[in-house]
Amino acid sequence: MFRAALVDPQIARASRGLWGDAARRLRRNRPALVGLFCIVLFALAAILAPVISPFDPYAMNGSSLDAPSLTHLFGTDLLGRDIFSRVLYGAQISLFVGVGAVVLALVIGGVLGAIAGGFGGRIDGVIMRATDVFLSIPSILLAIGIVTALGRGMVQLMFAIAVSYAPTFARLLRGSLLALREADYVVAARTIGASRMRILVRHMLPNALTPLIVQATLVLATAIIDIAGLGFLGLGPADPRTPEWGTMLVDARRFMQTAPHIVVFIGGAIVISAIGFNLLGDGLRESLDPKLKR
Amino acid sequence: MGRYIVRRLLAAIPVLIGLSILLFAYIRILPGDPCVAILGQHRTPEACAALRENLGLDLPLWQQYISYLLKTISGDLGASVVNSQPFVAEFLTRFPGTIELTIGALIFSIGVGIPLGRLAARKVGGWLDGLITGVSLFGVSIPVFVLGLALVVIFGVILGWLPTQGRIDARARFDATSGILLVDTLFAGRLDLFVDVVRHLILPSIALGSIPLAIITRITRASVIEVANEDYVRTARSKGLKEKTVDNRHVMRNAWLPVTTVVGLQVGGLLGGAVLTETVFVWNGVGRWVVDAIENHDYPIVQSTILVFAVIFLIVNLIVDVGYALLNPKIRYQ
Amino acid sequence: MSDQHLLEVRDLVVRFRTHDGAVHAVNGVSFDLAAGETLGVAGESGCGKSVTNLAIVGLLPKPAGRVEGGSVKLEGRELTTLKEEELRQVRGSEIAMIFQDPMTSLNPVLRIEEQLIETIQAHREVTKEAARTRAIELLTAVGVANPESRLRSYPHEFSGGMRQRVMIAMALALEPRVLIADEPTTALDVTIQAQVLDLLRRLTEERGTATILVTHDLGVLAGMADRVNVMYAGAVIESGTTDDLFANPRHPYTVGLLRSIPRLDGETGGKLVPIEGRPPDLIDAPVGCSFYARCAWRTDRCATETPALLPIDGGKGPIVTSGPAATHVAACFNPVAPEEVAEGRPLRRSGGATR
Ligand SMILES: Nc1ncnc2c1ncn2[C@@H]1O[C@H](COP(=O)(O)OP(=O)(O)O)[C@@H](O)[C@H]1O
Ligand code: SF4
Ligand SMILES: [Mg+2]
Repeated sequence: MFRAALVDPQIARASRGLWGDAARRLRRNRPALVGLFCIVLFALAAILAPVISPFDPYAMNGSSLDAPSLTHLFGTDLLGRDIFSRVLYGAQISLFVGVGAVVLALVIGGVLGAIAGGFGGRIDGVIMRATDVFLSIPSILLAIGIVTALGRGMVQLMFAIAVSYAPTFARLLRGSLLALREADYVVAARTIGASRMRILVRHMLPNALTPLIVQATLVLATAIIDIAGLGFLGLGPADPRTPEWGTMLVDARRFMQTAPHIVVFIGGAIVISAIGFNLLGDGLRESLDPKLKR
Repeated sequence: MGRYIVRRLLAAIPVLIGLSILLFAYIRILPGDPCVAILGQHRTPEACAALRENLGLDLPLWQQYISYLLKTISGDLGASVVNSQPFVAEFLTRFPGTIELTIGALIFSIGVGIPLGRLAARKVGGWLDGLITGVSLFGVSIPVFVLGLALVVIFGVILGWLPTQGRIDARARFDATSGILLVDTLFAGRLDLFVDVVRHLILPSIALGSIPLAIITRITRASVIEVANEDYVRTARSKGLKEKTVDNRHVMRNAWLPVTTVVGLQVGGLLGGAVLTETVFVWNGVGRWVVDAIENHDYPIVQSTILVFAVIFLIVNLIVDVGYALLNPKIRYQ
Repeated sequence: MSDQHLLEVRDLVVRFRTHDGAVHAVNGVSFDLAAGETLGVAGESGCGKSVTNLAIVGLLPKPAGRVEGGSVKLEGRELTTLKEEELRQVRGSEIAMIFQDPMTSLNPVLRIEEQLIETIQAHREVTKEAARTRAIELLTAVGVANPESRLRSYPHEFSGGMRQRVMIAMALALEPRVLIADEPTTALDVTIQAQVLDLLRRLTEERGTATILVTHDLGVLAGMADRVNVMYAGAVIESGTTDDLFANPRHPYTVGLLRSIPRLDGETGGKLVPIEGRPPDLIDAPVGCSFYARCAWRTDRCATETPALLPIDGGKGPIVTSGPAATHVAACFNPVAPEEVAEGRPLRRSGGATR
């Protein structure tokens, strides 16, 4: 206890300094702020969907395939449902499934990566070969495999996406942990006899998290795109009436010639949220690693 | 070099075994009675019996796995439960379409991405660099199928410049031996059809190639910037070499290295993206076949497609790594 | 002055535009180089030695670095205003360079052969075979054993010393009039350093190549250079023949530099004394003497006025800028007196003595 405390405050200071500096740099990074704005827009749409939606996303509120108007900002779909309301509720689903999947992937990948990088040896070899297996399968096919095996549904979708990202997180964390094994303060902690577990949890993990956070932000963009992709392939939520963006695009596609605006609105929503996470992720990476900044 | 290749091949064995276990498990974790789960509406008592026999469902699990492994190695990748067509035969008729699309996308993404990346690197911090960075950001942020649909609307529906469905004019009649139409039309001496195939290929290649394009642009830019600051580039200039020589020989020969690795890694994404692209462009390839298989709950098809795509990915990356070693003398001599 | 020098640098000014402001890297450097002469350039790292050299051959890092004033003349021909293509023809063939780190200065993915041959072919219309024969001659000249087979090697297959020999071979490939060697041995082991310096001296003497030999280690220059320029904060602050400078250093900074190195002439009594403090930040344009903050001889005048580079004996007769009779000049209001050199501090009451 006492001995480890000699080392700890230093790390705490170092990491607070890192994040403080990063926050300052981030505030000056225009693209990252634009990204943050997109994300806030996306999150507000998702959270406030029940409040700001003018119509019930499941109910028929107009005639079929109305053009955009003041009543129906984005027009209506084949069944006369308000597309604006459906896009808002779609944000809710993407946010919920996307964040859920990435958090789950972080947990699975984090645990595996921590074991592999923290302990090394044979267990490391086994985990790394396992990630090789998963990484050899194109991620959308892996997700397809999982959803077809488990059946359609939001939770299955979340799980499928999480499994396809977890290996990347595992490798990333393992890589940083291996690099940190030789860091001065870790060696110092080891020489004063701190336990392996303690070194891993108190000294190495906090410092290895940075690249993981950056990657998680970037992967959120991919997650939103992949969720829509699975929906587009008919592997979205179990109920096909659910206002999931990809599922909605299946219908929209059929009327692309007569009502192309539907594709534009739904596609636009996907692109804006993905751009948001990509910009913020890049900005975070630059702010956390000043060397990258040119 | 030979030892390096052997080592890489040996390293692939555990991955292949892991892959086979995963895919073996795939068919067996389908919920409920396997006969119902796999055959679905196509089940008859005879079909059920045949399936049980085929998968060896009455044997202990490890024997089932060994039998799956042996069958797979011998090239028996199962059959469709819908029409009992063997996987391999059908796959071979579909795969040329996917190869053509993937190669089209690769040509587009490499052919455009590398020059863009070099251009951005040369103008670091300028407006052109900003524009290129913005385009590549857009490229990774737009789903393949959304971009595909947008291209269909703009270039197919509104402008009417390019065909948006299929691989070739449906009325075309000629001898398609290899299934790769770019080659077949040329061999048949039908330049008109070759042009038609190229026109069909343009929009799907752009849609599928957008993500690799963005990634290749970024990595090329970063790599060129890094190499351009190396001491040996300054040496090259101090020797009075022409700027073009400095660029092509001294900068690019080194900047290639990370780019090749990244290109190899894109192949997985391209094969996956082909599933969506083929759906949007009604493209006759493995991807659309898989989507049909999903709809028909034709699980053995899904299973074996995943296997084959994963193996292709591993092979391509093996080739890329060997190529990397050939480009990089430091590795070559180890 | 009277007759033309091989290389004439006048009032050279180089700035870098950076996010934090303009870096005043070189602030009015002037010097001459006569044919066959070796000019040593010494000074702590960051004082503008490399930037001066890069500016001479037009290789400043773009777009940040710019020549903002002054002139560089090679045999009377102005280089700073040359077109890129004309300058390219000068580089490597008339002015060649060797850089500090042989580990990173050769291209790792190209065989030595390619790197030598391309240099020759960039300036001469010769066949690959002829260029190859020349490359073998060059490698033999710099002492690479089995040159024919070594041509096929990649840089990483050579040791550091051998790589620097290859760099020398490459630099001398076209018999340049001027060779700029920027810290050619700094990255090498001490024993290898001596060998490489020997080689360099022998080859440049044989060929009559005028050389600018840059180092942050004055000791290296003792046996190598005819004359020495001492640089500080982007300016030459003392210059003279090597003998004059070592025997009679007058600028406090030169004295500090000399005291911070082991003497090669066997005088080992004194211990090594590093100069205290750091060179000034070149972001701000200097006011007064740039050495003021670290100088023990300073007076109030030094804080506001900038000392000019003037003859140490008060300026009788014309200033000679090259050759064995070069005038000893220093930029200091209160030059160090001979008896103060060994002490390394002023032995007078209040700094300022009249000059
Ligand atoms: N690319 C650059 N951008 C900004 N400043 C630079 C650059 N290169 C050199 N400088 C600055 O110019 C000054 C002189 O550097 P240099 O000539 O390399 O010193 P040295 O005497 O060690 O060779 C230094 O203060 C350095 O910070
Ligand atoms: S005495 Fe004055 S002029 Fe001379 S070096 Fe010192 S500060 Fe500069
Ligand atoms: Mg230098």
